[in-house]
Amino acid sequence: MSKPDWKNFEPVLIPDIPDLDQIKNYEKNGGYSALKSVFTDNDKWPDSKSVINEVKEANIRGRGGAGFNAGLKWSFMPPADGGPRYLACNGDESEPGTFKDRKIFEYNPHIFIEGALIAAYAMEITTIYVYIRGEYKSYIDMMEEAIQDAYDAGYIGKDILGSGRDIEFYVHSGAGAYICGEETSMLESLEGKRGYPRVKPPFPAQKGLWGRPTTINNIETLAHVPAVINRGAEWFKGVGAKNHPGPVLYGISGHVNRPGVYELPSGVPVLDLIHNVAQGIKGGKELKAVIPGGSSTPVLRADQLDGITMDSDSLRTVGTMMGTAGMVVMDEDTDMVDVLWRIAHFYHHESCGQCTPCREGTGWLEKILLKIKNGEGEVKDLDLLLDLTTQMEGRTICALADAAAWPVRHTINRFRDEFEARCKKSVHALA
Amino acid sequence: MPEIVIDGQTYEFEGEHKLLQFIQDLGKEVPFFCYHPSMSIPANCRQCMVKVGQYVKDKETGEYELDENGEKQIRWFPKLQTSCNLTMSDDMVVHTQETDDLVKRAQKDNLEFILINHPLDCPICDQAGECPLQIQTYKYGPEGSRFEVKKVHKPKRVELGPRVTLDAERCINCTRCTRFTQEISKTHQLTIISRGDKNYPTTAPGETFDDPYSMNTVDICPVGALTSSDFRFKARVWEMNQTPSIDITNGKGSNIDLWTRDNLILRITPRHNEDVNDHWIPDEARDAYKLFNENRISRPIQKLDGEQILSSWNNAIATFNEQVADTENDKILIIGSPHASVEENYVFSKYANLLGIDQPVFTPNMEEGKGDGFLITDDLAPNTTGCKLLNFKEKKASTIKKSVENAELVIVLNDHLLDRNVLSQEDFDDKFVIVFATNHSDTTKAADLVVPITTAAEHAASYVNIDGRIQRTFPAKETKYSNRRLDLEMSEGRLDRYGTNFDNWRTEENKVDCLPLWRFMAEVSDQSGVDVVYNSGREIIEEIAGLNEAFSGVSYPDMDDNNGIQLSIEGTKKTKA
Repeated sequence: MSKPDWKNFEPVLIPDIPDLDQIKNYEKNGGYSALKSVFTDNDKWPDSKSVINEVKEANIRGRGGAGFNAGLKWSFMPPADGGPRYLACNGDESEPGTFKDRKIFEYNPHIFIEGALIAAYAMEITTIYVYIRGEYKSYIDMMEEAIQDAYDAGYIGKDILGSGRDIEFYVHSGAGAYICGEETSMLESLEGKRGYPRVKPPFPAQKGLWGRPTTINNIETLAHVPAVINRGAEWFKGVGAKNHPGPVLYGISGHVNRPGVYELPSGVPVLDLIHNVAQGIKGGKELKAVIPGGSSTPVLRADQLDGITMDSDSLRTVGTMMGTAGMVVMDEDTDMVDVLWRIAHFYHHESCGQCTPCREGTGWLEKILLKIKNGEGEVKDLDLLLDLTTQMEGRTICALADAAAWPVRHTINRFRDEFEARCKKSVHALA
Repeated sequence: MPEIVIDGQTYEFEGEHKLLQFIQDLGKEVPFFCYHPSMSIPANCRQCMVKVGQYVKDKETGEYELDENGEKQIRWFPKLQTSCNLTMSDDMVVHTQETDDLVKRAQKDNLEFILINHPLDCPICDQAGECPLQIQTYKYGPEGSRFEVKKVHKPKRVELGPRVTLDAERCINCTRCTRFTQEISKTHQLTIISRGDKNYPTTAPGETFDDPYSMNTVDICPVGALTSSDFRFKARVWEMNQTPSIDITNGKGSNIDLWTRDNLILRITPRHNEDVNDHWIPDEARDAYKLFNENRISRPIQKLDGEQILSSWNNAIATFNEQVADTENDKILIIGSPHASVEENYVFSKYANLLGIDQPVFTPNMEEGKGDGFLITDDLAPNTTGCKLLNFKEKKASTIKKSVENAELVIVLNDHLLDRNVLSQEDFDDKFVIVFATNHSDTTKAADLVVPITTAAEHAASYVNIDGRIQRTFPAKETKYSNRRLDLEMSEGRLDRYGTNFDNWRTEENKVDCLPLWRFMAEVSDQSGVDVVYNSGREIIEEIAGLNEAFSGVSYPDMDDNNGIQLSIEGTKKTKA
């Protein structure tokens, strides 16, 4: 696989342009041209289907973690019947290690707004909600301002650009629950209910918000849409890895010299990201482990990283996933037992409690890990932990149980020595 | 017709079915907790996991694809499925815990999870003995526990409302109770609070769970998390006898079960009847158990020198006959009762007929605006329709006063007319008043002769509800003159069947000295020669069925087979709640 030329990549989502969050500056730099093209250029975009096809062709893999082709998702919407249809934009961004959408809210909100409006046009959607995690108080304010500016400029509201299409756009604040980032519990939360994930089927495209057809997309996913419209699906597909194309916002955190969000093509080698982009491990220490895409994605040992690039195909070969591309880098002094306990603590705290295996399993995992962390565990506890992950995985309504089980299973399997070393000796020498 | 293969057996089906319900309807079993046939399906307990697949068909030829052994190929779903919310489709193949070790393991795993934070306090839990968690753990659960860390602690003994007590530690978060208040009673009083293993159901802060149907949540709670504040710690379920009956607190005729121990009714629970009350009853209907135990009239009472004293049955019978013989026919007024059964009212109607006096009159007991369109009705009596069908003259409170005024002998059948302000003490001045009643009241206090009769819990008798449905009760409680071991109508409890005489203690005081109305009237006939001799309600209803068109074809066996019979009568339209 050829390495993408990431060093010469021109950022699209967060380019180095000052005050791009101002609508005037955004427009000056080509902003809302994709929207104008889609809404008014009937020759290029004869119908909404043509927009969906272009996006489908571009193969924007959902950036929220699941990596599903966004255009394909759009095509699942049933034909319009005159009733309300919704686009719910997922800005809940709560997975530990993930902090990329906030960059869009802060530096380039209009590219997301434009993308969402194009999506709404393509799916004949009448109302857009952007659900932003409650802790992002200032970004919520920024988004409200940006949306108001777009209303004032005539990009949102009644009869947009004379197309006869009406679209409303609302910001909805979360209240601090990780589970509300799960798409169906986000719908429940939007409806003002307790954030319990819904049983599927019916899928949101059939019965979503208030029982109406609804599509849910990640913020970054939608922010890619204007470029796909402007430059075409072929351009997008040409960026980065073949099966996971396009620019990606890499959120690099942990023991690196320059943590932060970097927009680069997909498929950048993991080691390049750590050593070049983030300028190496702090204090010149050795790399020990990397969590590639948010806390639920299985951790990788440093010795597994040779030649591995940030795209789903390459990551799958070492048994992990792209997730949200929120990388957590850990140096040689990191205690993996502590790391895993902290992750288990998070999922225990955030399990909504609807399904038995997750409600009870997450707590049990954390309690055993705490015991091991405190040096009171036994080796058999490690096997019990592995057993419990099997009992949780794939047995619940949403993927939170899986997300809680995977790190436990893979961290233990990949760092078993460390865990055993923390356990009490189960065999004692005779005198 | 579409076919489904469950554990190797092929079944045909029509229409839309959910797999779990279908399996249950076949008489087979898959364990579950959160599913309830009358509410939405949240699929959150994850207990009813099964393995599901589909026969593979060639897309072009439509032929089944076969494997190397010539068997139809099955494409299995990648994950186990919850059967409760799975819609069945043609060519589906299902393996339950009966035939698949993976399913068996998954169900066991799930029970292990449910039990880790459950207090396992069955010995002191009211639900023990009728607890789906206890039963299914014995059948499908793990043998021991691998949980060696600390359980989660949550509030205990919380009075959610006046009638329901919560033990949050026992809760398995099935959400049946919250769904009940959302979907059935629609008061939305309960919700789940907190997250993960800390969550439990409760009301909004400062609010109380006073839903008029609140106690149904106790019934549907699959563990002992919600218990009846009244019934808590009163009895173990296996010590009680369960007898089918009919609610007598209003006109709906909700189907109920009476639970007895030592000849006392200890609680009332709903009995499923989808044509009447489904799985539910109002809380008022449960409170009525006290009527059967407390404040009962035991032995006849007669007035001597203006003071009521305990009398004897012989005196009562003699007095009754003397009074009737000594009074002009047109001065005798018989007041029937919507609170009494069809059989009891009929006996009086027959008696009046033979005596050659007017048919009994009656006054409905209504409270305008009380009904809620569900199971609570304006009608406070269980048998208003029955009185009408027996052609009793319906009198308003104002006109019945007049009738009483013209009479010298007033015979009242189990209707507390003074207490409900239809008549007043003065109306009875200078009259001889005979009251047949079950419980003491101001009305019985005003009577010259009080004859204690059996309640709906002590005899078999039928009632016609506001929708024209006739349903009957069974004797649940012995009187001084009945015997559980001889009366085949009475239910047999675990102690009756397996206990010795020493286990099955009975307190003699709990037996009331009363007679079924027809038994009393048979004694009256014996001395007076007016022939109203019946041994049981069964005989009476057979006679009515032959004489009164509205009741034609009605019999106890028929009522028993069909959970009551809808009478085809004009003016009583069947209204579904």
